[in-house]
Amino acid sequence: MERRKFLGLGLAAVALVPAGLSAVDFRKEKPDTWTAHKVDEAIKALYGDIKPEESGLSIKVPKIASNGGAIPVGMKSDVQLKSLALFQDSNPESAVAVFTIPADVKKVNYMTKIKMAKSGSITLIGEGTDGKFYKVNKSLQVALGGCEG
Amino acid sequence: MANMKIKAKVKGDTLKCKVQMKHDMITYNVAKKKGVDANFITYVTGKVGDKLVFEASTSQFLSKNPIIKFEAPADGLKKGDKLEMYWKDLSGKEVTEAKKIKGLK
Repeated sequence: MERRKFLGLGLAAVALVPAGLSAVDFRKEKPDTWTAHKVDEAIKALYGDIKPEESGLSIKVPKIASNGGAIPVGMKSDVQLKSLALFQDSNPESAVAVFTIPADVKKVNYMTKIKMAKSGSITLIGEGTDGKFYKVNKSLQVALGGCEG
Repeated sequence: MANMKIKAKVKGDTLKCKVQMKHDMITYNVAKKKGVDANFITYVTGKVGDKLVFEASTSQFLSKNPIIKFEAPADGLKKGDKLEMYWKDLSGKEVTEAKKIKGLK
């Protein structure tokens, strides 16, 4: 019986691994990230205790956003990344999105539109394929808050 | 059903994509005020064939009808290839739509 159980466990482990590698749903993997109210807490929940370098990434946002309901945020990297996380500090929760970067994407060039309730800052954290973490931070003014729909 | 607008184009050696998803993206705050359930897109992927070109887990702070632009390398793409976008929201609704990639020879 012992041996049977052992074999069964091994099979289960093998079956689980490929699914984990091909796609990561960060909502299931790191549920604490999405409920954290501070940027620092959210980063800690997602990546652990890290000391990111302030280089390698850039954010493009308007200095003054007239409509907080749809603020375009451009994200670029000069380094190869494994994942990229976007946070802001003006909404009740901090996390906006976590992107998993496919292995053959050398330089990230993404854009999305986000909501912000009031003026604040946007933080981008990148996890490099070299194991280092990168960070960039940018503040902006929001003329009309967008979180109330 | 037009749940998404997808544009995918190859320029040089880059695949450039722009996707708009039709979704109300109701945050928890708005949900409380209006007495409806919060509902927003939580997970998005983009695929060409079996290859993953885009993947994101998202929260309620994407804008209403969120737009995502992304780039990926275009090596190995053939004429007739399609970009298949998939999203899932909090209520469990899942949508998949595909669009032919332009600019391929």
